[in-house]
Amino acid sequence: MDSVKKALDRALYWIVVVLFAMLVLIVVWQIVSRQVLGAPASWTDEGARLTFVWLGLFAAAFVFGERGHIAVEFVARKLPGRSERALAVVVQLITLAFTVVVLIWGGGRAASNAWLQNLSALPFTLGQMYLALPVAGTLIAFYSLYYVAGLLRGTHGPYVELEDESEVVAATVEPLTPRKEA
Amino acid sequence: DGEGRPLRIALNQSEAHPSYIALDHLGEALAETTEGYDTDIYPNETLGAQAEALQLVSDGSVDMAVVSGPQLENLNPDFVVFNLPRVFDDVEHQMRVIHDPEITGDLFSSLEERNNITVLGGFTQGARSVYTDEPIETPADLAGKQIRVQESDLQLAMARALGGIGTPLAYGELYTGLQSGVVDAAENNEVSYFTQRHFEVAPYWSYTNHLVGLDYIIINSDLLASMTPADREAFDAAFTAAHEEHTQLWAEATQEAIEGATAGGATFSEVDDAAFAEPLEAMADTFITTDSQRALYDAARAAAQP
Amino acid sequence: MDPAALVGLILLFCIIIGIVSSVPIAIVIGVASFLAAVPILGPEQAALVSAQRIFTGINSFPLLAIPLFVLAGVIMNNGGIASRLVDAAKVLTGRAPASLAQTNVVANTMFGAVSGAAVAAAAAVGSVMNNRMVKEGYDRPFAAAVNIASAPAGMLIPPSNTFIVYSLVSSTSIAALFMAGAIPGVMWALACMVVVYLYSRRQPGRLRSEDRISFSDGLRVIGRAVPSLLMIVVVVGGILGGFFTATESAAIAVVYCLVLSACYRSIKVGDLPDILINAGRTTAIVMLLVGVSTSLSFTMAYARIPDLISETVLGLTDSRVLILILMMLVLILVGTFMDPTPAILIFVPIFLPIATEFGIDPVHFGAMVVMNLSLGVITPPVGNVLFVGSRLANLRIEPVITKLWPFLFAIVAMLFLVVFIPQLSLWLPTALGLL
Ligand code: NA
Ligand code: NA
Repeated sequence: MDSVKKALDRALYWIVVVLFAMLVLIVVWQIVSRQVLGAPASWTDEGARLTFVWLGLFAAAFVFGERGHIAVEFVARKLPGRSERALAVVVQLITLAFTVVVLIWGGGRAASNAWLQNLSALPFTLGQMYLALPVAGTLIAFYSLYYVAGLLRGTHGPYVELEDESEVVAATVEPLTPRKEA
Repeated sequence: DGEGRPLRIALNQSEAHPSYIALDHLGEALAETTEGYDTDIYPNETLGAQAEALQLVSDGSVDMAVVSGPQLENLNPDFVVFNLPRVFDDVEHQMRVIHDPEITGDLFSSLEERNNITVLGGFTQGARSVYTDEPIETPADLAGKQIRVQESDLQLAMARALGGIGTPLAYGELYTGLQSGVVDAAENNEVSYFTQRHFEVAPYWSYTNHLVGLDYIIINSDLLASMTPADREAFDAAFTAAHEEHTQLWAEATQEAIEGATAGGATFSEVDDAAFAEPLEAMADTFITTDSQRALYDAARAAAQP
Repeated sequence: MDPAALVGLILLFCIIIGIVSSVPIAIVIGVASFLAAVPILGPEQAALVSAQRIFTGINSFPLLAIPLFVLAGVIMNNGGIASRLVDAAKVLTGRAPASLAQTNVVANTMFGAVSGAAVAAAAAVGSVMNNRMVKEGYDRPFAAAVNIASAPAGMLIPPSNTFIVYSLVSSTSIAALFMAGAIPGVMWALACMVVVYLYSRRQPGRLRSEDRISFSDGLRVIGRAVPSLLMIVVVVGGILGGFFTATESAAIAVVYCLVLSACYRSIKVGDLPDILINAGRTTAIVMLLVGVSTSLSFTMAYARIPDLISETVLGLTDSRVLILILMMLVLILVGTFMDPTPAILIFVPIFLPIATEFGIDPVHFGAMVVMNLSLGVITPPVGNVLFVGSRLANLRIEPVITKLWPFLFAIVAMLFLVVFIPQLSLWLPTALGLL
């Protein structure tokens, strides 16, 4: 399971990088085609929006892989150790249930419902675009199961600790007096 | 079965809009003449924009919705005919064609099998014209000007036919876009020109009348089929009264918009219509590609006043 | 039981229990809006609609400013642009008390004013300022709180997409609304500066910069920052000059920062994937929340909860002052759960007629509504600016909220000034002949 997760992490990393780079290029092309070439592209608005939705969903899956979504742990952290761990399992199971019901089942139905609804400017259908919901949902479901197993085996703790950045800070802040340019 | 209930309607306009008022009165008529039907309108896109409202009606989560022509064109390319410039001479011609079952009967039931959607009819969105920061008389006056249009090949070709350069831009960015000069011009009906406050930043309205806009009223087909014959008859009568009232309300709203925009500093002027007619009418040959589209176009044109 | 009340109770119950139990907030909101939709739509349609709303919530061109400005901020921070800007700001603010925190407020206000996106401002400014402030003796949660609290000021200062949305549902002049927001926006920033000042007085001597810079060094520091400062000129000039829209300007900012970083040789091509992933993480967290809160607003609208709220408010009193206070309190509550745009689309059509009936000018009402809802972006459970700001400081939200309270009180005080002194919002548009 660990090796599958590593491969998925890697794949999602590159999917997010490519989608983000595409997003920047599409918006830049929208400006260039209009202001410089004087021939505004017809597809850039729709193309940028849909790339953005895919970026949002796949990056969300990537962040689930790191357990990085925002949660309020103030109360949970006051619980005794065993309950803390049990609660962490429940949290993963709730995430799993939501993902299966809404993203995979609901998203799949949304995709089939809009399968024949053409987009206005791109040669795809809205239903094809909705496929990002069940696909990202499947990845999130895998990550939830992975962490349930990890929590039960004890290989993962109940929380992800944010790394203390104080040392990094000291290293990256430049001195105020100007550095000589190379 | 047979027992009516309030019909949930997704609308992209506000409560003051003619579409809302006509649908509200449709509800009052249904309450009087049917067994328990009424309308329950959700304005301001609170249930989603038109593309999603379409899916919600198909799915049955919402009973009815008001959607624009290009939305239905995305489901059935035959709808493109009524999105073409100059297919209708005016609102009266448009309403006559749209509500003639001889012409539109098959088209309006064409989505039933695949999408579970029936088109009931249309509400006019009035003739659309170009507005910018100076009066326009001929296509040459728009040469080199960026006209904001919706994002489709047809709309871009229409901007070319008007003499300018079509520029798709998110509608929410149009006001500031006109203000700063990202685009030079836009095109719409008088009602939107006024309610969207675009006259503040593009005060010259020129009557190119290039397109008569249309919104379709769609309903979930299963729901429509579940009505008793008596209710269905009353429903059809109430809908006919609603779209007729809407046309009347639209004319009044247009007049109020012209007066309001004029009071706000806008100037409305006529154009050299013949100069625009030829390039706009020629678009039909490019965008009509099938026999069924050609048949619809010919029928619509044949219904024009001689 | 009234179905609206039933749905409302399910929502409230799920959200409170879920958040307290440390379920990720996006999952809490998503589950709550799905469960609340089940009694009225049935499970199949509730699932479909929830998924569809998540998709369409993100599917918006103006929202693109968020990932792009976040990316620009990350590049600025890695490419040495940010530090050059802060150095220059420091030379200018010199040894004034808490100068770095005040610089943060001003930078956020300016950046937000231009981009109109509070998240973008918080991301760009926060990535520059946090570490600097910590190094000068501020505690990290306070540094994050300053950044978060001041970011929404730019949503009130023109241009502002939020006012455009209000204008469309209220049929009021956009130009007049833009001007009506200017003074409240400045008041927002001033409130933050006052809190910073009071905070610095309680930390004697600690927040003064001890560095002494000679005049010539100062000039050199400013000179070094000129190319970075030119980015602001390019972005603002491009928007005002009509070369690109406010949303598109975010992409120009990305390109400009990349070019500059390449000139400084501070970013290599091999660094780009990690930079994109860093910006992608922040984007994902915010966008998933935008998606599920769109699903939440659908469920609320479908169940007619806003009508229930309005009837309840009107049933409680007929005093003009009390009605205004009640509406403001409801909107503060709404704003904690909803982004400004859906909140305006849903609540303004209900509240505006009540307000006008009590003799309140729609433009004045717009200023107070937008100011009120702008608060919502810095309050949990749906507070995009709060989340981005905390994350950039590598903090959980709890310690940040502790430091945010004084700012929230000060801003709410400003809000009530705007509510009860109409001139604050109406004077400028009237003076310019827009009303
Ligand atoms: Na702004
Ligand atoms: Na909030």
